[in-house]
Amino acid sequence: MKKLDNYGYMFIVPFFIVFITFTIYPILLTFYYSFTNYNGMGDPEFIGLANYSRLLTDSYFYSAFYNTMYIWGINFFFQLSIALLLAILFSDIRLKMRGLNFFRAVFYLPNLITIASVALLFGILLGWHHGTINHLLMDLGIISSPINWLNDPTTARWSVGLIGAWMWFGHTFIILMAGISGISKDYFEAALIDGANRWQTLVKITLPLLKPIMLYVLITSLIGGLQIFDLPMLITDGTGAPQGSLNTMVLYLYNQAFRYDNYGYAAAVAYGLFIITVIFSVITFKSMYRSNVKEG
Amino acid sequence: MKKNNIVKGILYAVLVLLVIISFIPFYMMIVNATRTNSEILQQGFTLIPGTALMQNYDTLIQYMNLWRGFANSLFVAVSVTLLSSYFSALTAFGFAVYKFKGKNFLFILMLVLMMVPGQLGLIGFFDLVRVMGLLDTYIPLIIPPIAAPFVVFFLRQYLMTVMHPSLLEAARIDGAGEIKIFHKIGLPIMMPAVATMAIFTFIGSWNNYILPLVVLFSPEKYTLPVMMGALRGSQVAENLGSMYLGIAISVVPIMVAFLFLSKYIISSISAGAVKE
Amino acid sequence: MKKALSLSFVSLLALGVVAGCNNDESSANEEGSSGSGSGEKLTVWSFTDELEEPIQVFEERHGVEIDLTIIPIEDYPTRLRPVLQNGTGAPDVFTGELAFIKDWVEQDYWEDLSQEPYNVEDLEGDYVDYVFDMGRNSEGAVKALSWQTTPGGIFYRRSIAEEVLGTDDPAEIGERFSTMDGLFEVGEELKAAGYRLFPDEGAVRWFAQGDNPQPWVDENDELIVTEERLNHFDFAKELRDKDLTAFAPEWSPAWFAAMDGPINYNAGWDEVDEGASNEVEVFSYALPTWGLHSVLKTNVEETDGDWAVTNGPSPYFWGGTWLGIYSGSDNKDLAWEFVKMMTHEEEFLTDWALDTGDVLSYLPVTEKIKDEFQDEFLAGQNNYTFFLDEAQSIDADTVTRYDQQIDTLFGNAVSDYVEGVRTKEEAVDEFYNLVKNAYPHITVPNE
Repeated sequence: MKKLDNYGYMFIVPFFIVFITFTIYPILLTFYYSFTNYNGMGDPEFIGLANYSRLLTDSYFYSAFYNTMYIWGINFFFQLSIALLLAILFSDIRLKMRGLNFFRAVFYLPNLITIASVALLFGILLGWHHGTINHLLMDLGIISSPINWLNDPTTARWSVGLIGAWMWFGHTFIILMAGISGISKDYFEAALIDGANRWQTLVKITLPLLKPIMLYVLITSLIGGLQIFDLPMLITDGTGAPQGSLNTMVLYLYNQAFRYDNYGYAAAVAYGLFIITVIFSVITFKSMYRSNVKEG
Repeated sequence: MKKNNIVKGILYAVLVLLVIISFIPFYMMIVNATRTNSEILQQGFTLIPGTALMQNYDTLIQYMNLWRGFANSLFVAVSVTLLSSYFSALTAFGFAVYKFKGKNFLFILMLVLMMVPGQLGLIGFFDLVRVMGLLDTYIPLIIPPIAAPFVVFFLRQYLMTVMHPSLLEAARIDGAGEIKIFHKIGLPIMMPAVATMAIFTFIGSWNNYILPLVVLFSPEKYTLPVMMGALRGSQVAENLGSMYLGIAISVVPIMVAFLFLSKYIISSISAGAVKE
Repeated sequence: MKKALSLSFVSLLALGVVAGCNNDESSANEEGSSGSGSGEKLTVWSFTDELEEPIQVFEERHGVEIDLTIIPIEDYPTRLRPVLQNGTGAPDVFTGELAFIKDWVEQDYWEDLSQEPYNVEDLEGDYVDYVFDMGRNSEGAVKALSWQTTPGGIFYRRSIAEEVLGTDDPAEIGERFSTMDGLFEVGEELKAAGYRLFPDEGAVRWFAQGDNPQPWVDENDELIVTEERLNHFDFAKELRDKDLTAFAPEWSPAWFAAMDGPINYNAGWDEVDEGASNEVEVFSYALPTWGLHSVLKTNVEETDGDWAVTNGPSPYFWGGTWLGIYSGSDNKDLAWEFVKMMTHEEEFLTDWALDTGDVLSYLPVTEKIKDEFQDEFLAGQNNYTFFLDEAQSIDADTVTRYDQQIDTLFGNAVSDYVEGVRTKEEAVDEFYNLVKNAYPHITVPNE
């Protein structure tokens, strides 16, 4: 048996060779570059903590963080509330809504489309004087003059956030439905027999039991949201305009590295992003743990 | 009962409205793909398709061969899915079945790094690929996903719950080698979980934008997302009709594929979330 | 299942290996074929499709195949640099745009053309001065040549000029356009008649600099922002406030469509009474020489022959394509043949100029054709003498390697102000901060 166990190494060796080469080494290399002044040509020049002290006082990095959270916040709020309402609706045993498979599929569809295509599509649909969405809204009489959606910080952030929600609510809906179908039907039937109304069923049974899966949605959405790049990159041609309101953290990293050739500083930005991600993950895990303890 | 029906009617109306919201951007896209630039600019919104489809197609294809991007993306995504599935299964099997020194350490290391956002190593990755002379090839897109910690984690958890050591013992007594056992027993047992993860891997690779953007240079090697991005700065952008058509070409085949696979994909997502 | 999987896996690996080999093979091929006569292949990278026709000519002449790769200009420097540094998959010939040529001539990407066997120094007198100088680096070596010169003007619609201004004569229109005030006056007259002076506000950026063009960054790494630069904010705002443009941003589909006829203006229902219809027509575009053949001619059907070109309030120049040989190319002889044809072969360049209307920088040809030149698209106007005169006032010292990025940042700042989301002071301040952020070594005025 002992001998056989050495086969374990053989099974995991390919993974770790690739993992060390293409994941761990680049992370360490990036860490090294974050202490250097490096423009992609020649040798990196070691400059100690200069990049990090710049990062701490860099208002663009903070605004990139703010933008990222703003966009994610809108995205997550609408994504989760629509998905939750849908999930509650379809799980109501008194209503017996039909067509779950159909609706699930249609709502999920936007999630499957390449984000680059979605960005391009909304980039031109949301055009100002010649955008189809403005044309439609004006035809319907909802607005009287065209709105320059992508040229005002507020409407631009809301646009990107809502596009995100549009892309993801179907996905979240599926996950919540999966969570609900994991709840035994007995709970609902017992509640029905006990004469609990809809609201009581929702608050006492559905929501508490959905809590773990909602936290799962929260964490995955947050980690993904902190890395939002494709949409703002393609909608603003990488500039993060208007007024840098769509300049997200990864777009900032990309521009510093690949547009302005400040690889050293971009590496520090990457680590800044990493630290923020760690902090958020820890907070989320902690709060999840604490609330579990309270209930238990 | 009657009141219930009215409520249901309203609810269905709301659902249909949501369906329209989900679908109308695509419908605008398809309609506009068949109209000329000046029709879109002058006549605004309409539900009726135009007649300029072929004309738009000619303009588009003259500058950008999107089908090529499709083929490239498909090649990359299929390769990534196969490699990632196979090697993740191999690694998960190694972690689940054998007790070797340092196993726990390696497994925890993997889990910790699973939490690291993908962009952390981007700068170093780019530099590494450049030094290796692999820029503008598919290798940096296809090989690194062999090490997919999340897939390994998921498969290992799955394997722990479904596999009985007695099965392996029986095979060993029959004289099968460890690799053969993996192929004959481990892989088939893991297949449902592998398929679930394969869908995520495929979608992830298909949608990947930043990595091919940074790594690929020659337009004929562009994957679809990068090609879509390049469309914006190209001459195609002069003509809205062709632009919409370009987007439609990148979207419609996916929709058609989804029509056939939706049930499977949705159940995979459900499984992926609940097994957590 | 297992068999199928492992089979597909094996074939996949094989594919990967083949793909890998393919790369090696093709580069090995290029190496191997250097010097051999026929079946040669040349790769050319550029950011425009201008070279497509010359490449066809070259292919027919030499019986070789040229592979042209076109990369959109936003990505061009980013994509090219790593390839040029590494050499894998690098082209034999590649072009450089005005915006980044200053940077590139200082690198080792391009072959030194001042050396044997190219000896381009002998040709110095044959080119418009600034064009030749632009290809020269700080050590005096010439790295790239260009066939064109790119002074700018204002292209306008003759029929609209006739209707509103009473004349379509370029000299008279040019007289009215010769000051900013004159330009705005004409704009008001056009607006009263239901036309718009320019497609968008960006058009005035060239004239805002006036008679005092300065580089963005000087030799001490200091950002230079002149009064004239800042005037751009006010001119752009004035254009917007007075409603003199058609809201068709540069390079957008609406911008192109407006060349060929009315476009939907859609100012909104509140303002709809100002004109019976929602449609406006654009009077003029500020474009340089290449704007004629690669922008206007390719996008216009209805208004063909209805155009003329004249001067704006001040001379300017915009863009230009330089051509050089990759220093690591294995096929330099053939590459040089191509550069030669494109930049100083009389027969080819004469045909090219007569065919496209492109204004050349190669004097032996321009001297020969300029007096006779006329373009049907411009109703027979001689754009050649006009642009060659304008070329006299080009000062190439204003070009820096930062231009592409700083121009973008500046354009965003102006648009913030025009949209009314920032005051001029705030927008300028933000512009300084962004420049500092992108290039920490540059000193900016608000530090």
